[in-house]
Amino acid sequence: MLIFLLRRLVAGILLLFVISTITYVLLYFSSDGIAQNILGEFATPEQIALKQAELGLDQPLPVRYFEWLGGAITGDFGRSWFNSEPVVTALFNRLPVTLTIVLGALVIAAVLAALLGVAAAIKRGWIDRAVQLLSLAGDALPSFVVAIVLVTSLAIQAKIFPATGFVPFSDNPALWLMSIALPITALVFQLVAQAAQQFRSAIIDVRRRDFVRTLRSRGLPEREVVFKHVLRSAAPAALTILSLQFVGLLGGSVIIEQIFALPGVGPLAVLSTTQGDIPVVMGVVVYTVIMVILVNLVVDLVNGWLNPKVRVS
Amino acid sequence: MKLRSRAAFAAMLTTGALVLTGCGASGGAATGDNTAGPTGGTLSIGSLVDVTSFDPAASHVGHYMQYYQPVYDTLIMREPNGDLTPMLATDWEYDETETELTLNLRDDVTFTDGEKFDAEAVKANIDHFKVANGPQASTAASIEAVRVVDEDTAVIELSQPDPAILLYMAASAGFMASPAALDTEGIIGTPVGSGPYILDTESTIAGATYTYAKNPDYWNPDLQKFDEIVIKPMQDVTARVNALVSGQVNAALLDAKTAPQGTGAGLNEITNPVDWQGLFLFDRGGVQAKPLGDVRVRQAINYAIDRQSLLDSLLLGNGEITSQVTGTSSAGYVKKLDERYDFDPKKAKSLLAAAGYPDGFDLTLPVNSADTIINAAIVQQLADVGINATQVVIPSTDYRNEIFTGKYSIGYYGIFQGDPWVAVNHHIGPNAAFNPLKYTDEKSAALIEKIQAGDDDAAKEFTEYITEEAWFAPFYRVNQLYFFDKTVTVENQLQQAVPSIYNYAPTK
Repeated sequence: MLIFLLRRLVAGILLLFVISTITYVLLYFSSDGIAQNILGEFATPEQIALKQAELGLDQPLPVRYFEWLGGAITGDFGRSWFNSEPVVTALFNRLPVTLTIVLGALVIAAVLAALLGVAAAIKRGWIDRAVQLLSLAGDALPSFVVAIVLVTSLAIQAKIFPATGFVPFSDNPALWLMSIALPITALVFQLVAQAAQQFRSAIIDVRRRDFVRTLRSRGLPEREVVFKHVLRSAAPAALTILSLQFVGLLGGSVIIEQIFALPGVGPLAVLSTTQGDIPVVMGVVVYTVIMVILVNLVVDLVNGWLNPKVRVS
Repeated sequence: MKLRSRAAFAAMLTTGALVLTGCGASGGAATGDNTAGPTGGTLSIGSLVDVTSFDPAASHVGHYMQYYQPVYDTLIMREPNGDLTPMLATDWEYDETETELTLNLRDDVTFTDGEKFDAEAVKANIDHFKVANGPQASTAASIEAVRVVDEDTAVIELSQPDPAILLYMAASAGFMASPAALDTEGIIGTPVGSGPYILDTESTIAGATYTYAKNPDYWNPDLQKFDEIVIKPMQDVTARVNALVSGQVNAALLDAKTAPQGTGAGLNEITNPVDWQGLFLFDRGGVQAKPLGDVRVRQAINYAIDRQSLLDSLLLGNGEITSQVTGTSSAGYVKKLDERYDFDPKKAKSLLAAAGYPDGFDLTLPVNSADTIINAAIVQQLADVGINATQVVIPSTDYRNEIFTGKYSIGYYGIFQGDPWVAVNHHIGPNAAFNPLKYTDEKSAALIEKIQAGDDDAAKEFTEYITEEAWFAPFYRVNQLYFFDKTVTVENQLQQAVPSIYNYAPTK
């Protein structure tokens, strides 16, 4: 298991290195206008040249890259070119917001999807058809549309939830819950729709397998067959879809964070990309890759725990 | 009236008013008469932008002003109607050469860290502003040095006359922070100024909510109409309209598509034509695209554009059509020029024929990827008179810098309409970035020289000249649509995207 973990970690670090290098090189080729972007339309050529020297934009690519890499390895991602804020501070201030809504949505979606999936697969009949229909509808509705409907009905008309904004948990737990309720609900909709389908088909599939028939023939009660054996075998498929959804959510939450004016990583990613704030863009990219690697690692571990065959392979 | 003399006159008037009303004396009672209407409560604003640093040298104008004004006073105050009146400077005067601006300063102002505001502080701030090379550093480009005469007198030495310098002293270059805080790490997140409010860092969440509490020792309580100001950055217009309609914020900028929601919710509205949009005919010298060197061709382009239909269909009528780049509030504005070029494709064709292009000609049109719809309309309308424009789509992040390289002969853009000298430096004159081919001619150069000396008649003549010569093909002035609820009153700020923070007041 340890070797399995180590191998995964090394692969993750290599992936991080490759992606950050490619991103840096790509950004290098679009860094011509950054000094002008910072200084605005009135800037004189001398001011622009000065700013370029100040930011190291006049240096060749290898010098700039290794300087960045040297810092990044020690955890120093530099400062934003636009506001001098350390990139690490910017990310750490915004990470809790994004992770709260992404993980919140994922956990709720996983539980709901499992319940709906199991109900649909076991009971079949009208429950199954209803879940199928809901899944189809949920899948077809983009989260931003759900968000706008939720805001209009529950925030603007019913005035139950705030329409925008974020309250930290430490300030006021009740208001914190209110402020993340709508964004999370908006994200959950589509997640449940997709994951419930996966759960359903995986369970139906496993229930048809020979080992389930054997278990039943040994007189095990159906409840035990389903919860102890079928779910365990069906879980890897569902977990994989949840991990993919998590990765998708890191991107999908950008729009939700904009609509609800949440101070997450999303607005930072959008702003730094449009401005050409390379240190911040690199910080966001590294953070995203690390998240993806971590989630895959966790999913592998859980799968290994659920299914010993995975550990061997 | 020249800007200089107008400002001085306004300064005198206001100084007089201050003396008469006893403003500046400690305590709010003396100023009570001057504060029409109630005070108190919280003002909550939704902003299109997020403040990135509270270092005055990193400050920006337009939407950003609202974040800095609560905490920093400017040397000069810009009133809602554009008049320049005293703030930290009580009055000011130019020398004969107009290259030395003497500022007399208030002697009763301290920064929130206890440091005293004086001429040394002015020098420290402007020096810092120049060295830091921030987004507005170019507004201080003509400042050579600041000389401290005595504690409450500073002289700004200019390398050449700059009629816009007083305006700049009412904006980024004029924000005064405590000299002890300048060049420190802390000022990025914690401003130390002398303004009417203090940033409440405890209640502030970067990127979400900036809370400003009343400065108890402020020298001019008239500017403290609220107990607290909260600014919430909301880049997305959907977030702004939702927050406004649900009562989370009192005021925010909407756009043409969301404005009906604001109106439907019974909110008040201010329209403010800050920008003009249209075609820049960069190659008016015909260096790259020979036909554009002929004034008849440039006029033909002006006649080819159906301004009213573009305004109605793309901006839902939120603006006014014009043929000049000068705004109504500028000294260079000439009303009749708004209608100089009507929509007349026939005339456009005959002008093209007279210029030797009866079958039209080919052009390359750089297209901002965020503006594809209007560019498609431009291509269509040019094609209708025989001009064949080939589109080159450029990512919106690179568009401005690409047109600055001088590769393109024309290009569509939206830009603010400032005072004459500001506009000359920004998008018309030979040194302007938006004149990438550095076009100039004898007549315009002579007029620009007069504008630099503050001659308003020359500014008008200049507008007539460049409109007649069709250096541009402006379409319309675009209305900024600012909405606010019934609990506040808001006064428009001339030539600024959103009102200054001083322009808000509670209704009860």
